Amino acid sequence: MTVKKRPSDLTSLERFNLYYREKEEPMTTGQKFKRYLWNPKTREFCGRTASSWSKITLFYFIFYLALALLVAICMWTFLQQLDAREPMWQLEKSIIGTNPGLGFRPMPPEVASSVIWYKGNDPKSQQFWVKETSKFLTAYKRDGKKAGAGQNIHNCDFKLPPPAGKVCDVDISAWGPCVENNHFGFHKSTPCIFLKLNKIFGWKPHFYNSSDHLPNDMPDDLKEHIRNMTAYDKNYLNMVWVSCRGENPADRENIGPILYMPYRGFPGYYFPYTNQEGYLSPLVAVNLQRPKTGMLINVECRAWAHNIKYDRHEGMGSVHIEIMIE
Amino acid sequence: MASKESLDHGRSDSYRVATIGPIKDDNRTADGQYKTRRKPPAKKRKTGDLDDLKQELDIDFHKVTPEELYQRFQTHPENGLSHAKAKENLERDGPNALTPPKQTPEWVKFCKNLFGGFALLLWIGAILCFIAYGIQASTVEEPADDNLYLGIVLAAVVIVTGIFSYYQESKSSKIMESFKNMVPQFATVIREGEKLTLRAEDLVLGDIVEVKFGDRIPADIRIIEARGFKVDNSSLTGESEPQSRGAEFTNENPLETKNLAFFSTNAVEGTAKGIVICCGDNTVMGRIAGLASGLDTGETPIAKEIHHFIHLITGVAVFLGVTFFVIAFILGYHWLDAVIFLIGIIVANVPEGLLATVTVCLTLTAKRMASKNCLVKNLEAVETLGSTSTICSDKTGTLTQNRMTVAHMWFDNQIIEADTTEDQSGVQYDRTSPGFKALAKIATLCNRAEFKGGQDGVPILKKEVAGDASEAALLKCMELALGDVLSIRKRNKKVCEIPFNSTNKYQVSVHESDDPSDPRHLLVMKGAPERILERCSTIFIGGKEKVLDEEMKEAFNNAYLELGGLGERVLGFCDLQLPSDKYPIGYKFNTDDPNFPLDNLRFVGLMSMIDPPRAAVPDAVAKCRSAGIKVIMVTGDHPITAKAIAKSVGIISEGNETVEDIAARLNIPVSEVNPREAKAAVVHGTELRELNSDQLDEILKYHTEIVFARTSPQQKLIIVEGCQRLGAIVAVTGDGVNDSPALKKADIGVAMGIAGSDVSKQAADMILLDDNFASIVTGVEEGRLIFDNLKKSIAYTLTSNIPEISPFLAFILCDIPLPLGTVTILCIDLGTDMVPAISLAYEEAESDIMKRQPRNPFTDKLVNERLISMAYGQIGMIQAAAGFFVYFVIMAENGFLPLKLFGIRKQWDSKAINDLTDSYGQEWTYRDRKALEFTCHTAFFVSIVVVQWADLIICKTRRNSIIHQGMRNWALNFGLIFETALAAFLSYTPGMDKGLRMYPLKFVWWLPAIPFMLSIFIYDEIRRFYLRRNPGGWLEQETYY
Repeated sequence: MTVKKRPSDLTSLERFNLYYREKEEPMTTGQKFKRYLWNPKTREFCGRTASSWSKITLFYFIFYLALALLVAICMWTFLQQLDAREPMWQLEKSIIGTNPGLGFRPMPPEVASSVIWYKGNDPKSQQFWVKETSKFLTAYKRDGKKAGAGQNIHNCDFKLPPPAGKVCDVDISAWGPCVENNHFGFHKSTPCIFLKLNKIFGWKPHFYNSSDHLPNDMPDDLKEHIRNMTAYDKNYLNMVWVSCRGENPADRENIGPILYMPYRGFPGYYFPYTNQEGYLSPLVAVNLQRPKTGMLINVECRAWAHNIKYDRHEGMGSVHIEIMIE
Repeated sequence: MASKESLDHGRSDSYRVATIGPIKDDNRTADGQYKTRRKPPAKKRKTGDLDDLKQELDIDFHKVTPEELYQRFQTHPENGLSHAKAKENLERDGPNALTPPKQTPEWVKFCKNLFGGFALLLWIGAILCFIAYGIQASTVEEPADDNLYLGIVLAAVVIVTGIFSYYQESKSSKIMESFKNMVPQFATVIREGEKLTLRAEDLVLGDIVEVKFGDRIPADIRIIEARGFKVDNSSLTGESEPQSRGAEFTNENPLETKNLAFFSTNAVEGTAKGIVICCGDNTVMGRIAGLASGLDTGETPIAKEIHHFIHLITGVAVFLGVTFFVIAFILGYHWLDAVIFLIGIIVANVPEGLLATVTVCLTLTAKRMASKNCLVKNLEAVETLGSTSTICSDKTGTLTQNRMTVAHMWFDNQIIEADTTEDQSGVQYDRTSPGFKALAKIATLCNRAEFKGGQDGVPILKKEVAGDASEAALLKCMELALGDVLSIRKRNKKVCEIPFNSTNKYQVSVHESDDPSDPRHLLVMKGAPERILERCSTIFIGGKEKVLDEEMKEAFNNAYLELGGLGERVLGFCDLQLPSDKYPIGYKFNTDDPNFPLDNLRFVGLMSMIDPPRAAVPDAVAKCRSAGIKVIMVTGDHPITAKAIAKSVGIISEGNETVEDIAARLNIPVSEVNPREAKAAVVHGTELRELNSDQLDEILKYHTEIVFARTSPQQKLIIVEGCQRLGAIVAVTGDGVNDSPALKKADIGVAMGIAGSDVSKQAADMILLDDNFASIVTGVEEGRLIFDNLKKSIAYTLTSNIPEISPFLAFILCDIPLPLGTVTILCIDLGTDMVPAISLAYEEAESDIMKRQPRNPFTDKLVNERLISMAYGQIGMIQAAAGFFVYFVIMAENGFLPLKLFGIRKQWDSKAINDLTDSYGQEWTYRDRKALEFTCHTAFFVSIVVVQWADLIICKTRRNSIIHQGMRNWALNFGLIFETALAAFLSYTPGMDKGLRMYPLKFVWWLPAIPFMLSIFIYDEIRRFYLRRNPGGWLEQETYY
């Protein structure tokens, strides 16, 4: 590095002349660029000598090392305050809020798509969906041999809520057409779609406590169903109800009758979710019994409880599924 | 530099020649050409406009006989033009007015503002947004409106900033328009034998006009009759003397000949009748004005810097944008996504608010300068004075008061200094000695000048006087010394008078005595000192009359030479008491054939006059010097006068010698002196004409103190160009039309607001409203300060670019949910960062900016690699770390632990997925995820605001500690509060979640950025501590911007 004279060391003449341009030989842009890349006179690469490069590299290395250390310290300190099992903010304090949505399985391979699309007479195109569903249901299968995961699983009933630390079982073996042996109905063009309510830590549903005070916009068949069920057993009121229907009038025509398995809703004893070991989300298998083929059907499934608000656009308390069977 | 001076006096019947003493007419015209040579040898370098200007010398209207002229214009000396002919001429030639300089059409200016700078980049961003939206709209049923909104916002940003800067520009140009509204000029014209009063614009070629003192000459006229007519050509040639004008043709050069008077010069004495020979743009004044407006001025230094900076940032933006566009493709993104990334990177990279900030900063400084009497016409010129390394100053009216004042007196064989300051604060002399009394009596009585009426409240020195400049000087001096001159004159009634003429070179008058006991008449005489001395036989010294012997003559000569050497105009004074027996009261004095003695008089003394420098000038020059600015004097005046003024104001500092001085001291010929030994130089216009550009460069390079005398407008231009060729940033100050080409060519032209001609004001970038050269120092100071502060402001603004870009890069490269959205970026750039960045314009200087050298325009850039390294590489990185930390904190507190986020982007952004699982098994709907994401955007935004607090405080100083600088900049303190309040407003106002997608934050989410804020502050304090400890060290070379 050349030693620069400080302005005070210069004579006044030099000082004035400091501000006048030195005459330079004219160079083309190419030459200038070449000289910038490697200047043999000053042995500079990209405007810096080797020692200059190493100094600045070392400086930035140390600087970023220190910065990384700072981030690491901050991050470590922060992570220490987190609980491994419980999110720091829950329910209304958390941004997840208190309004669960619905999810469905199987999911299409394309992330941005919600279309279940296959050919009714082509087993190959069904295979993906069957596989996908069965993969999803693996967690629910128990062959008895596997210990551990199933240890704290408890067979619950409305009268028999799970004891502390235990989770309720979801028995998927007896769901009529929606079993793996039946290829979940895909091969018969009567596909089963599995619905689940989003897990929110600590969320408890507020059930409709009377079949007489059901919301006005609830489909009549569901109202009917609730009345039938509760007439038989009041406990069935403790249910997050589910309804599916075509989104548009045309879809409603096309969708045909729907079968809900095992119940038409999520039984209350599964809630709240508190990140228990081995917790299984309750499922509702929706079997489309006679969907029109060759047609895209928009299906909307909705969950019903006092504290589930609904907004189709925002996906609140509902889910949008498209089905296309060729 | 003394040149061979001819004994031939050009203008003979003015005091100037009679009394000029050693400053003889050098037989050169004002532009330094030999009077006898008609056509100057063509200069090689300059063509076009300059040649055009030179053509003025080729007119022959002054040479032909009046009769031929009447013939040519079909006019008559008594009757003038016919109305029909006048009308015809008017239709042919147009009105007699200067064509205003060509204005850029308003829409062009507007478009420049709309598409210049970063605007183009933002337009591209906006168009990409619209394209992306268009494609989405045609492919997806319910397209997200984000891109449409963003496109509209970007377009709005560009349009609003464009309109804003256009408004600022037109506002400052409006100031100028007020100058244009000149008082309409009227002229007295003879047409068809009738005297008419017409507007000057309606004059045509061949019109016979009458002009009297006080008028402005309405066009270029050839004089056909004159009675004691004198004009003030100073605005045209820079000569401060009124020039007498008559009907006779005296010189080949139209500027020198006595029978021409020029448009827009002033008649100061007498009356004249003339024929209009040139109108409007063809007049000499019109040509110079045309030359000035035809010059290409180039960019201001700050505009260059800003362009450099825009190129830099645009380069980075385009490079990053294209790189990540390609990377996005390689990573397998959809091309529409890649386009959206490109938009994001462009928006993040462009400091949208910065150009508006710069404009506001400059406007604020311009306002501050206007309050200090510096009116800035062109906003960018605010900074130019700060970068100035050379000032070329005109002498008359700029450095001097443009008012002859008595500077010295010689009586009783000693030189007495008179007070020449504007406020009479200088030394006082003894006014009681008999020598002074006698001298004062002559100066009072032998004087035809009188104060004009109606000036009772005006200080004596500022009063207007009817009469010759030297007589006016004497009048004022006597009024100050004796009191009421008028009553003294009344008491000593003038009996007879012989006015000044060129053969006698003296003026004499005889007065009655005011002493009732002494009936003798008093004869008083003044004139060229040597002529006066010839007529004297005795000398009045110490109250006694002595014989004028050789010894006394020697003393006289010494005094005369000394005063002449000071560049002053010297007058001699003598008197005689006429014996009462020979000349009793009522004696009939005959002036045509003098019947009274004009010889053997009593010599009393000398008085010398000069146009003294303004009081504030020497101090201002010294300040410029210490600020490393070279001050060059460029004047049309004589070298000796110029040198004397240069010495008295410090342009040639004490002890510095010119080549001639060295030669005189060593008693060797000038040619033997090494020119490099002389720091000072006085260059005559003639010499300058014979120099080629290399030689001129050498003079400008090797002499630090230069005076150019007898220069023409073209030469002023050449000097300015020479300085610019050497890399200097040149300021030119001047008031006359002859200065206007140089004013225009200079990087910054400074015109005088009171004395300045309209043409010079038109050509200038800045106007000193009080004509005070010292205001230039203010300009330099403000200019340097704003340059420093703009650096700070830009450093502050650019820093936040890194935390703005990095989220996008992480989004693409790490597949994490977007940490900071484009809308929030705009909120920073156009919202929270604006006021603090502007407030840095109010920052005080860190050190004495007037003690350092002007910046070197080739190395001291506004935005250099060190500033980028600091802003992007260091502080920006800490800020980005703060932002990401907050992002991860909020994500983790809500359930998404950091590791979970990597690779989650696709699911996260998919509307189809309504149940995305977090680290605690919770399942998030699309809406809730987005709420979380936008909360993170808000928090990232807030954390940028928090770290920008520290950034703002560290940007206050570049070297000093904040402890030295203090927090006294209340605009800045307000800025801190403002940005915080704005951030809180944006976060907490209900409805913002819908409008700007800003969500309310928990208070604790403001905190994670604080350790980073503190570390920015501490890091930079330490850095600056080392900077101060090791000046010139490695850290300074790498980080001092």
